[in-house]
Amino acid sequence: MSTKNKALPGKRAILDNIMEYFSFSAIIILLLALSLTQENFLGEINLKNLLRDTAPLMIMAAGMTMVLLFGSIDLSMGAVCSVSNVAFVHFMLAYGESFGNPLLAGLAGLAVSLLFGLCSGLTLGFIHVKLKVPSFIASLGFMSVWQSVALLITQGPESMKKALWPATDWYKISFGVVGLPLVLAIVIILLVYLLTRFTAFGKAVFAIGGNERAARVAGIHVDRTKIMVFALNGVLAALAGVFLAANLRSSAPTIGDPFTLKIVAACALGGTSLAGGKGSELGTILGVFTVAIIENGMNFIGVDAYWQNVVFGIFVLAAIALTVDRRTRGQIIK
Amino acid sequence: MTTQERNTRPLLFSASGITKSFAGTQALKGVGLDVAPGEIVGLVGENGAGKSTLLKIIIGAQPQTSGSMTLHGQPYEPRTPMDANRAGIGMVFQEQSLIVNLNVAQNIFFGHENLFKSHGIISWSKMNRAAQEVLAAVDITDISPSTKVSNLNFATRQMVEIAKVMDVTKRSGAEHCLILLDEPTSVLNEAEVENLYRQMRKIADQGHAVIFVSHHLDEILHITDRIYVYKDGSSVGDLDTRDATEARLYEMMVGKGTTTEYYHLDRQTVPSEEVLLEVRDLGIHGIFKHVNFQLHRGEVLGLCGVVGSGIEEVCEVICGDERPSFGEVVIRGESMRFSSPQQALAKGVLMIPKERLFEGIVSNLSVEENIALSNAHALSRGPVVSAKAVRRQAEEWIKKLRIKTSGPQELLLQLSGGNQQKVVFSRALASGAEILILNHPTRGVDVGAKEEIYAFIRNMTEEGKAVILLGDTVDEYLGLCSRLLMMKDGLVTGEFDAPADGKPSQVDVVSLMM
Repeated sequence: MSTKNKALPGKRAILDNIMEYFSFSAIIILLLALSLTQENFLGEINLKNLLRDTAPLMIMAAGMTMVLLFGSIDLSMGAVCSVSNVAFVHFMLAYGESFGNPLLAGLAGLAVSLLFGLCSGLTLGFIHVKLKVPSFIASLGFMSVWQSVALLITQGPESMKKALWPATDWYKISFGVVGLPLVLAIVIILLVYLLTRFTAFGKAVFAIGGNERAARVAGIHVDRTKIMVFALNGVLAALAGVFLAANLRSSAPTIGDPFTLKIVAACALGGTSLAGGKGSELGTILGVFTVAIIENGMNFIGVDAYWQNVVFGIFVLAAIALTVDRRTRGQIIK
Repeated sequence: MTTQERNTRPLLFSASGITKSFAGTQALKGVGLDVAPGEIVGLVGENGAGKSTLLKIIIGAQPQTSGSMTLHGQPYEPRTPMDANRAGIGMVFQEQSLIVNLNVAQNIFFGHENLFKSHGIISWSKMNRAAQEVLAAVDITDISPSTKVSNLNFATRQMVEIAKVMDVTKRSGAEHCLILLDEPTSVLNEAEVENLYRQMRKIADQGHAVIFVSHHLDEILHITDRIYVYKDGSSVGDLDTRDATEARLYEMMVGKGTTTEYYHLDRQTVPSEEVLLEVRDLGIHGIFKHVNFQLHRGEVLGLCGVVGSGIEEVCEVICGDERPSFGEVVIRGESMRFSSPQQALAKGVLMIPKERLFEGIVSNLSVEENIALSNAHALSRGPVVSAKAVRRQAEEWIKKLRIKTSGPQELLLQLSGGNQQKVVFSRALASGAEILILNHPTRGVDVGAKEEIYAFIRNMTEEGKAVILLGDTVDEYLGLCSRLLMMKDGLVTGEFDAPADGKPSQVDVVSLMM
């Protein structure tokens, strides 16, 4: 696209570039404004916090970008993340000591959580694709189910026993201000990027997003591709749940709920079209950082918790209204 | 009306120096067009010549890049089709614009419901009566205004659309209106085309004018007073219809003067004995049944039938898009039950679909990605699709099929219809499928591109592929096929061998279809 923009006359090109690099410019402006007005905003402690807390959102946004790319949506990610989070800690409490080695126990817990995510994603994909239930309503139903299941497993937060803490020590490893969780998350999103850009599977995702009917007639595995994306998406949501558990060494049955809006916002800010067919995981990385800085900035300034969602919601609406591609004439937005 | 006569009368509409560029390519390079009151002006040219673009500029659906238009001698600058309608210009689009879940009357008066409103309530009976009159004005008496549009067939919808546009422009109050028809006849049957001609004459006799775009030169010669010929975004000239012949127009349009060998009959192959595909007692409940045929290597088999005869559905079953209720499809001796086109492709069966825009192309992907749509796996090394191989493949096909594009990375939506269809053909040929189902491969494609597509089909059979063809005209079936299978109301009614030197007569074929 960038070559094409250069061919356009001046005024249009500037406008297009603003849209294209919105997330990038938003990050710069926010960082400048916050670091100039707030002492210590760019200090080591806050920077470390900011970057570490980004990891779960990054992982989930990586999955959601793929789902959006073929024109569907998965609103159940936050709830899947909660169940995974609760299940991981619950498993560690119940069986952790029988493994002898806390690391082994951690891996087993991880496997249980990821397995749950895989099953959830597969089922959702199957219901959406084979039973032809729109992904919006199917995932909304799943969201409700998993929110309740998380609360059925445990009503309140559960904490991991001190003996098992070594299983989550990896989460605190850091290289300067960049923590291991963020490194892992970026590796994951880059892998997903490679998957969508350079494999036949990824080409199929883009083709389905552009014109599902044509993709089908052209002999592309439409159903299988979609179900696989939902499955992968479920696994990533579950992984984010384990990350959150490792961070706090405890679980909370509603921990994933606020993520739903943040994931969609990060993808949209990163330039992924909610109508499918257009977007990139690289844009999503910028989108995730934008969301993280807004959130962290509000905490840092001390915006009242009840007002934070108001500010956040307005910011997301404004950002999407500014960045949405309105160049296609007669495009229908549903 | 001759050129002299025209010069003595004031023009109804005039456009001059119109240019239009889309992202680097020039669709129109400074064309002009004059229309006098009472005139029917034909506009011909290959796909991509700029006909539809000019009409869209006149109706206000797209702005021109430069150039000016006048209407009744006054500057005319429509920003929306509504502006054009108010000025007395209406258009019947190539793609239909009726809202299918509303009824006929609601469509005709869409946006003008106030005419029938009293105290905020619309009187449907009043609207229906008015709609009846509008339809009667174009001699349509067999449609009830309260029928839902989705229950009408495509041809009837087209007539409703024409009635609507005529009414909208008349209501503008302008003394003389201008009606734009963009390939209105492609889906109409003979009687409906006749009626359309009558209506066009009637309008012209009342002093209104018509601009008529069609790929059928015989229609243009039959109905118009004057013809503009466009080529590659420029006007090659205009001539009075009485001076025009099909051969002359064809020569102006493509720049070469021959219509012979249109179907490349000399290259029709004699099918081999080897059976690639066999259909045994195939059927879908309530649609078609007891269909049996064999398809040989090197054969073009035509499935002939009118809409509703079941030929479309037979193809859907063969290419895996639909499941049969009974019978079987046998490929190279192996009985198949496909549940998706992907499985059919794995066995070498692929369809080029009828609706190019909705089923054939992914318009926001590039040319190279569209061509690699069906064979991305074959271009992979390990899990990675080689970008180089995708590029090389696209460049090869662009050259081979002479696709007009600025390069492999141009988005498909920026190509003209004929060139998009060539991309679809490239994709099908690149997929390596041996059994190709061509569902109306030349629909909406101009004469020049048609001839090229016919040549592609000859290439396919020379390479030993087998083709099932659903054609646009009986002429096309006879010209291309080596065997014909006629279907009517879901049953096979007959079969003809059609070797290059012994084609069956059109009458025989049609009599088994109707």
